[in-house]
Amino acid sequence: MATDEELIGAVADGDGRALEQLCRRYERGLHQFIFRHTGGRDVDDLYQETWLRVVRAAGRFDRRRRFSTWLFQIAVNLCRDWHRRPPPEPVDPAGIEDATRDGTARGDAALDARRLLAALPEAQRSVVILRYYHDLDEDAVAEILGCPRGTVKSRLHHAMARLAELARP
Amino acid sequence: MTECDEVRTMLLSGRALDAGSASHLAACPRCSAEQAAVRALAAYAVPAPPSPAGVLAAAAPLLALRARRAGWRALGRAVAAALVPLPLVLLVDVYLVRAAYGMLQALLPRVLSFYVVFNYAATLTLLLAVTYAMVPIVAERQLRLRREESRA
Repeated sequence: MATDEELIGAVADGDGRALEQLCRRYERGLHQFIFRHTGGRDVDDLYQETWLRVVRAAGRFDRRRRFSTWLFQIAVNLCRDWHRRPPPEPVDPAGIEDATRDGTARGDAALDARRLLAALPEAQRSVVILRYYHDLDEDAVAEILGCPRGTVKSRLHHAMARLAELARP
Repeated sequence: MTECDEVRTMLLSGRALDAGSASHLAACPRCSAEQAAVRALAAYAVPAPPSPAGVLAAAAPLLALRARRAGWRALGRAVAAALVPLPLVLLVDVYLVRAAYGMLQALLPRVLSFYVVFNYAATLTLLLAVTYAMVPIVAERQLRLRREESRA
């Protein structure tokens, strides 16, 4: 079976079947990442744009690197750009806190995972999704996000503290 | 990986906690505090990804462009590789033709020698032209075979 790096080399030469194989290998992980990152909005557009960027940049892929890391870097950058686009994300973390403290609003709505993740700053959200949902180690997360490992640890710490605070009954 | 990380990952991935992780969860104040949030995050359902057909359709023009460029690059490399020995081949041919002409002049009349050598030179030129004309065709065929191999 061809490796990811061989397949991306074939994509650089215009091989559609190689792209299809890569899509099938990473469709679930990549789609889940984008879905969780954006709270389910514009997912299909971002998912498709990620693959189009992969095709456009395939010739510049450094084969000494891991394809999965490169793919998620592209997805992270696209999600960052998406979050910067107007209109801003209509999420009010204070609303979540109020809801969790309001006895009538306790339960599923208060602990809604989408709203919890949306309440995190973009950088912390990326770290939580990559580290825990995708089970990547801190070094891989640091490489994808282009930051030191210590920053990943600190973002995780702050993110989990914030999530625990938001989800506190 | 710290034990707290392991517990979080197990909870988020929906795996059952083993005895060690369960006792850690019960004893660790940090994990206990985060438990509600982590369990909520674990319940985050994500729909199935779209079919790759949409991606492939959108990427088709880009892939076609890349395939054309790759074809031209392979062709360029093949032609360049074939052109490198050309001066040497021409030099050897000229040397052979001149040597043959000199040798024939000692045996045959000058006009007849010229006629024989001219025919020889014309044949060499034709063979060389056919060989170089085949270079792009062979290069394209090899590229196609390589693509088929990689697909297989």
